Amino acid sequence: MTMGNSDHIGAVAVAPQWRRFRFPASLIRYGVVLGVFLLLGYSIEYLEIPLERLFPMFGKIGHLVTDRYYPADIDYILDATYLGSVVDTIQMAYLSALFGLLISVPLGWFASYNMTPHRRFVYPLARLVTMLGRAVHEMIWTILFVSILGFGMLPGVLALTVFCTGFAAKLFAEEIEAIDMGPVEAIKATGASLFQVFVYGVIPQVRVAFTGIAIYTWDVAFRAATVVGFFGAGGMGWYLKRNVQQIETERVAAILLSIVVLVLLSEVVSAWARAKVAKSK
Amino acid sequence: MASGKAMTGAAVYGALLNRIEAERKRSRIIRSVLYLGLLGLVVWSVKVTVVEDTDWARMGSFGAILKSVDRFIGFDFSLLPNLIGPTIETLMIACLGTMLGVIICIPVIWFGALNITPFKPVTYPIARLLMTLSRSIHEIVWALFFVAAVGLGALAGVLAIAMRSVGFIAKISAEAIEDIDPAPVEAIRAVGGNGFQVLIYAIVPQILPVVIGVIIFEWEINIRRSAILGLVGAGGLGLMFFRQMNTFNFPGVTTVIFAILCIILVGEFLSHYGRKSVI
Repeated sequence: MTMGNSDHIGAVAVAPQWRRFRFPASLIRYGVVLGVFLLLGYSIEYLEIPLERLFPMFGKIGHLVTDRYYPADIDYILDATYLGSVVDTIQMAYLSALFGLLISVPLGWFASYNMTPHRRFVYPLARLVTMLGRAVHEMIWTILFVSILGFGMLPGVLALTVFCTGFAAKLFAEEIEAIDMGPVEAIKATGASLFQVFVYGVIPQVRVAFTGIAIYTWDVAFRAATVVGFFGAGGMGWYLKRNVQQIETERVAAILLSIVVLVLLSEVVSAWARAKVAKSK
Repeated sequence: MASGKAMTGAAVYGALLNRIEAERKRSRIIRSVLYLGLLGLVVWSVKVTVVEDTDWARMGSFGAILKSVDRFIGFDFSLLPNLIGPTIETLMIACLGTMLGVIICIPVIWFGALNITPFKPVTYPIARLLMTLSRSIHEIVWALFFVAAVGLGALAGVLAIAMRSVGFIAKISAEAIEDIDPAPVEAIRAVGGNGFQVLIYAIVPQILPVVIGVIIFEWEINIRRSAILGLVGAGGLGLMFFRQMNTFNFPGVTTVIFAILCIILVGEFLSHYGRKSVI
């Protein structure tokens, strides 16, 4: 916020007109803003977005909801098979978050610049793995695993594991990079091995943060798990896909409702657990 | 007398020690039961999801799996010229979606910050609910909804991304507003500024760096999201991915993933430097 701000200006005899940003900074600033808006305008043009459809959309959504989605087929989601798929989804999220977290502890260690065992080789490799898991969307991982392993929950678990690994490892690495190096130095000075330094110097400092991240990861994994079934990997998403394709809109509405309720529930639980962990710090 | 005092002191000390011991033991038991429960849950989940639900016969041997992995190894160079259009489309959907999300955010932020919300008992919970709703519904679900509402095409993707981004931007911004220094607000009020002027001159300058940082961060995530919205009919690289997959052009699939990685790298780079120059 203090671009172009300098203290010696007050010493000039003729008080210049006060401006928040001085010449080069102000030009760059307006240039960036103008560029962003030009780009946005051009993208509307390029994507051939029918802006005239944007405003009738609200009426249309209203119609859509009242005509087709409104009396959500609640009986469908209270059916035993569907409730079974909810349990499957929770299990999928639980397993994948757990596996992802187990992998991401060493991965986060390797991918943190200050603690990595080898900066030239291990660090970039771990960073690459972390980035790959996070950058490729979980749905793409799901499709790939489904096409390799066939339909079922295993590809879902694996895809979500890859996703959770990338997600948690990045946060872990950032947490490790922010630790106090004093205890690490002390433990190193006693002649401890790399692993011992990690266990006794790093883990105690990041334990609470890790717990918070683990809970958050579970939450995110559950959110993703509700839809991985859409591409063939078990759980509630599978029912969503089936009913979307059969245009059973009232059932779709019910399923969407169940997803929202469950995700809200998991968010409440996760927020409560994280608050509790933070309090015990 | 003195020895008696020492005795009681020792007794108190011993009782305390016993209590600590007992507490420790209890917490150890609780913890081991918890771990045992978690382990049991793992075994059960593995049994249900992996062992029972997998079609082991279809998967075949380990060699067969390797063979199906092997199909993906390769690079379809003939696809590259066709990828440029969808790549630009994906980036643009992300930009427009983020922008629209920011516009939708403004009222949500206003309602959702405790210190400026107009009518606390009503508007604050509404805004909080909107934020959570926006974050909790997956982008695929939002896209399905908007494809049904406005038809196939980029507009559905833009709307889906906008709705999905509202939650995060609004939450962080509202928290930033809650944490502002109240002195400038007082100062603007003291010189006779109205509510709008307070907003423009006292609140916005304080939160702007945080908000712009969050917007750039969200934009980076939105590139990831917009790359898959094509899977449900909202243009961009996802559509390309879907086509390659459905025509069994597996090297083409790898190529599309490579393109996605490229734009994500570009996005990450821009976001890193953008946020650095803002903060």
